[in-house]
Amino acid sequence: MNIAVCICQVPDLPSAVAVVDGSLDLSRVAWVMNPYDEYALEEALRLKERFPGSAVIALAAAPEAGKELLLKALAMGADRAVEVCSSTLQDSFQTAWVLAEAIGNIYGQELPDLVLCGRESLDLQNASVPAMLAGMLGMPFAGSVTALRADGESLEMEREGDDGLETLEALYPLVISAEKGLNIPRKTGIRQVMEARKKPLEIVQASALPDPLVRFAGAEPVSLKKACRFVETPSELAGLLYRGGFFKTAQE
Amino acid sequence: MAHYLVFLEQRGGCISKVSVDTWNRVQQQAAQEGESVSGFVGGPLKPTALGELYGNGTIYHAQDEALSLPSETLLCRILSALVAEEGCTGIVIGATAAGRRLAPYLAETLHASLLGGCAGGSLHSELCRRYIYSGLVLAAYRPEASIRIFLQGREQSRRSFFSTDRPHCVSFDASPFFVPHENLLIRSVTSGNSRKSIAESAIIVAGGRGMGGKDQFVLLEELASLLGGSVGASRSAVDEGWRPHSDQIGQTGKAVAPDLYIACGISGAVQHLAGLSSARTVVAVNSDPHAPVFDAADYGIVGDVREVIPAFIGAVKEVLQKK
Repeated sequence: MNIAVCICQVPDLPSAVAVVDGSLDLSRVAWVMNPYDEYALEEALRLKERFPGSAVIALAAAPEAGKELLLKALAMGADRAVEVCSSTLQDSFQTAWVLAEAIGNIYGQELPDLVLCGRESLDLQNASVPAMLAGMLGMPFAGSVTALRADGESLEMEREGDDGLETLEALYPLVISAEKGLNIPRKTGIRQVMEARKKPLEIVQASALPDPLVRFAGAEPVSLKKACRFVETPSELAGLLYRGGFFKTAQE
Repeated sequence: MAHYLVFLEQRGGCISKVSVDTWNRVQQQAAQEGESVSGFVGGPLKPTALGELYGNGTIYHAQDEALSLPSETLLCRILSALVAEEGCTGIVIGATAAGRRLAPYLAETLHASLLGGCAGGSLHSELCRRYIYSGLVLAAYRPEASIRIFLQGREQSRRSFFSTDRPHCVSFDASPFFVPHENLLIRSVTSGNSRKSIAESAIIVAGGRGMGGKDQFVLLEELASLLGGSVGASRSAVDEGWRPHSDQIGQTGKAVAPDLYIACGISGAVQHLAGLSSARTVVAVNSDPHAPVFDAADYGIVGDVREVIPAFIGAVKEVLQKK
């Protein structure tokens, strides 16, 4: 089974992101692999262990060249890692485009059997790249998957819908986005990190990009702080909320 | 002139609450500018299903049973055909789990600008302002394509819109859009024991690590049912296995927009508070007076949740009896 996993990195602590004159300043940020991408990669590795002869390639689209993310993916168990850089990446559409092109370049006419992504990246939370990538590759899309059972011909999946648990059935090839709960990603030790350094790692420049569909037009910092009024007793609080009109839906 | 298509999500023969809000809000905004609105809904409907939809325009209804549980691919084929036929310049989708999966797929197909979670929710703003980095940054985005897709949550729609006008419903033939061998099928939905989704609740009572254990959530269930709300949880409570992941609020869970949010034994990590930025009033109960949750709360009580909550339940009952 040929599996491509799309990964990206996000700030370890969002509070390290600063805004300077309407632009984002990420210079103080420590980066980690997007947690949802870890679920995607872990699931790919479990499939690889179940289906001998499988290969897992980790792909990243990034504004700046960096090896750490790829090394982490290789240490977890990916066979090969490729990063496509472009300093002008603006939106989810361009990111999906870069990934689709990379998949085309790596796999040629024969598309991978599965493309796994995280449900969303924790920094911008658009949750758009997986579905857009599916559209570009002409594959169906199973989003926010929390359980996956695969055999050689088909897949059965579960996800939390708005109304309860949904069960999905699909044939290969397919784009899947991984939700929390799909698995618990493995930890990597010194040995895996050493082995990762021997595996193929490529960093290439993106070719010309299509125009973005959405363009970043500035930012401002936000304070989540409110002025908290401390109340002494539960009955005082109940009175305040009642007068605030919050008990209209309460049982008669 | 702008012409909008609203995707109406159907659940069990009814239009979802988010979709009803979305439709009425779009009607209101379009009426101000003299713009027109159409709608699409798939799957069998109850006779009263469209009763809460006001305003003008046409709602296309495809009755096929297969559209009760549609894949994104199938919906995308139908909606993109409707958009082309009607010459729509804007598509508005409610930000439910299904809506969030459909919108980017459709954006790619139509080469449209996807604007999700814009603060203020106006269809006519030149820029979409939305929170990024756990709600700590408000960023502005400019749509560049001629077609725009708006993904809108409930928080932007408290004012209800009433009009004596009603849209008219016409039947839509979806048969050309079905393919014999669909590669992805949604087989079934096991109802989450009919609990109200926290994303749609006006009142949420949420518990964190300070609850001390799974059993203590009975208290929150009791309070939530008394107030007509639902129970949510912080990440630590979910990681402890006290609540399912579908109850989780915050960065790796759901973003919620209730009128009232009662945080019980939740310390208030920035990742949790990120899910609350749209909550109107936040009440925090925590034994640690320095817990960061109080910085994001309107009202606070310092105390052990296991003592404060039962007393609060009693006080609420008392207040309601006096009513």
